[in-house]
Amino acid sequence: MSAALPHHLTSLQLRDIAMTEPALKLEQVEKSFDKVRAVDKVSLEVNTGEFFSLLGPSGSGKTTLLRIIAGLETPGNGTVHIGGRDVTRLPPYARGIGMVFQDFLLFPHKIVADNIIFPLKMQRLPEDKQKEQLNWILSLVRMEGYEDRYPHQLSGGQKQRVALARGLVSRPDILLLDEPLANLDLELRKEMEVEMRRFQAELDIPFIYVTHNQEEALTLSSRMAVMHNGKFEQVGAKLDLYNNPKTRFVAAFLGSPNYIQGQIKRMEGTIAILDWRGLDLRIPAPANATSGDKIDYFLKHERILIQSLRESEPAKGENRFEGTLRDIIFKGQHSAYFVVLENGEELVVNAATEMPSLKIRHAVEVGWLPEAGDAFLKEED
Amino acid sequence: MAAVSPKERVVVVSQSSLLVFLYIFLYFPIFFIIYVSFVDNTVWPFPPVFTWEWYERLWIMSDFHLGLLNSFLIGIGTGALSSIFAASAAIGLLKYQSRLRGLFAVLYLSPLFVAGILIGISSLMFHRNILGLPGNLTSAILANTTQALSFAFLVILAQLTRYDWRMDEAAMVFGARPARCFWEVTLPTIWPSVLGAFLVSFILAFNNLEVTFYNVGAIPTLPTIAWGTLRHGIEPELYSLATVINGLVFFILIILFFLIRLGFVRLGYRGQ
Repeated sequence: MSAALPHHLTSLQLRDIAMTEPALKLEQVEKSFDKVRAVDKVSLEVNTGEFFSLLGPSGSGKTTLLRIIAGLETPGNGTVHIGGRDVTRLPPYARGIGMVFQDFLLFPHKIVADNIIFPLKMQRLPEDKQKEQLNWILSLVRMEGYEDRYPHQLSGGQKQRVALARGLVSRPDILLLDEPLANLDLELRKEMEVEMRRFQAELDIPFIYVTHNQEEALTLSSRMAVMHNGKFEQVGAKLDLYNNPKTRFVAAFLGSPNYIQGQIKRMEGTIAILDWRGLDLRIPAPANATSGDKIDYFLKHERILIQSLRESEPAKGENRFEGTLRDIIFKGQHSAYFVVLENGEELVVNAATEMPSLKIRHAVEVGWLPEAGDAFLKEED
Repeated sequence: MAAVSPKERVVVVSQSSLLVFLYIFLYFPIFFIIYVSFVDNTVWPFPPVFTWEWYERLWIMSDFHLGLLNSFLIGIGTGALSSIFAASAAIGLLKYQSRLRGLFAVLYLSPLFVAGILIGISSLMFHRNILGLPGNLTSAILANTTQALSFAFLVILAQLTRYDWRMDEAAMVFGARPARCFWEVTLPTIWPSVLGAFLVSFILAFNNLEVTFYNVGAIPTLPTIAWGTLRHGIEPELYSLATVINGLVFFILIILFFLIRLGFVRLGYRGQ
């Protein structure tokens, strides 16, 4: 790459060129184990300053993809560029990356300080520089005073901070995180989510964050990719993925929505009328849909209005159904309301907790506009 | 303390008796030899008449000095070779997941099932006919290593199965080349097992008769000298020799024990 650059450029101009390169570029990356295709022609660009999440269920290939970026696996095909440099054939130790592992993987025989400066030692940085970097990162992760402890003398959250410090201390081109919060309890996870966003924002190093937990991905990242069967289902800004899922899988996965199956009775322009086990349901018509098509319709819990009978008039084109409130599960600021409709189907509705007019076993009304859900042609398995 | 029922008492008494019996069974022959080495009348040493005579005779027998030195050299050589080979074998076996790993492991362990005397004779043939090695210390070290390697392999494998190889991946991601990775991360974690493998193979080779006998040529070692003196019946010097060797081994173990207890030596890291 650099060999092709003209000689007369100043280092500043060279840096500007480097800045315009994405921090990470994957092109058509493939990896198979035996006959299973773990990563299938994945292309991706991540820029400096991004917090990028790879979200997918276990076995979706997200960890394999991360290991390919780290150099711990070699791709069968495709290229990996980090900071504008082709690292596809480089071993992990020549890639200049940082990484945070699922079980922290701190070196058990080294004290915290030696764990953290390990990457600097490998780079043969002078010792006073090492010390300087160590103090800087210790204060960033708020672990001053723990330098001389061994990893087994730390709590889970402290280990996590040390693992992050070790990953960041050399200011790598990119930080890879492999389910780093999976082994922490909920409270600590919330705390570390906030901390990780702070580190990322302060250091401006791109984070590539692998998780199966959609809440984490939605909380932390600026952009994300949903991975399934080794492929990217959709890549984009997190709200865009959440609000406008492009594939059936993303729609079914993000937000764990209500799942409605039916058959199109007739078309009314952009609206299709669905026969939903005896109820007529208005949905946005998927492309190329015609009457008789089987449809999967995903409706997020918080997009449904719930109220006592005839509390308000339905808006134009709104779906309105009567049902019975089976149960309420209190979840803090909001509650989950389980409503059984006349056709026997159950919907989960997320709404404010304080709704004194709603009583269990009483009749209620639910309503939503067709666009509130996402409709897809049923996939034949 | 709560009252002990007769039934519980029976259990406690029978268990303690079994324990005492086992210790007597294990240690009586050793303590008897130590006792006999200090008495004048070795054939029927009761009542005892204490003497230093056997130690004095042992001290002036120069054969034993040379034998001790040679046995020591064989032990060191075998210990070093076995622990290095066994560590490489165990690391290779565990790090590179192969469908044939069971077969590889059995191949490393099979010398355990071969009689020592066969290893001795076949090593002699191989060294002399194929390698052209005369009977000497090198030949004895190589032959002993074929046997001790299996034990060393078992010792190291036992600890290494608990080693997390992702630790090496972490080191590599942070810039450590494979060799650096081994020195910085793997070895500091597994060295107690390597030391254990060294000690086991040292002791095996130091005490070995049947393998050493065929391969050491005319060079004396402690076991070959002891074997040679048998021709004239069991000499009381052998009792004192046994006592000295036992004493040395116990002395080293006690020192190690206190070093560990007092924290001068840390046998690896202590997990939670």
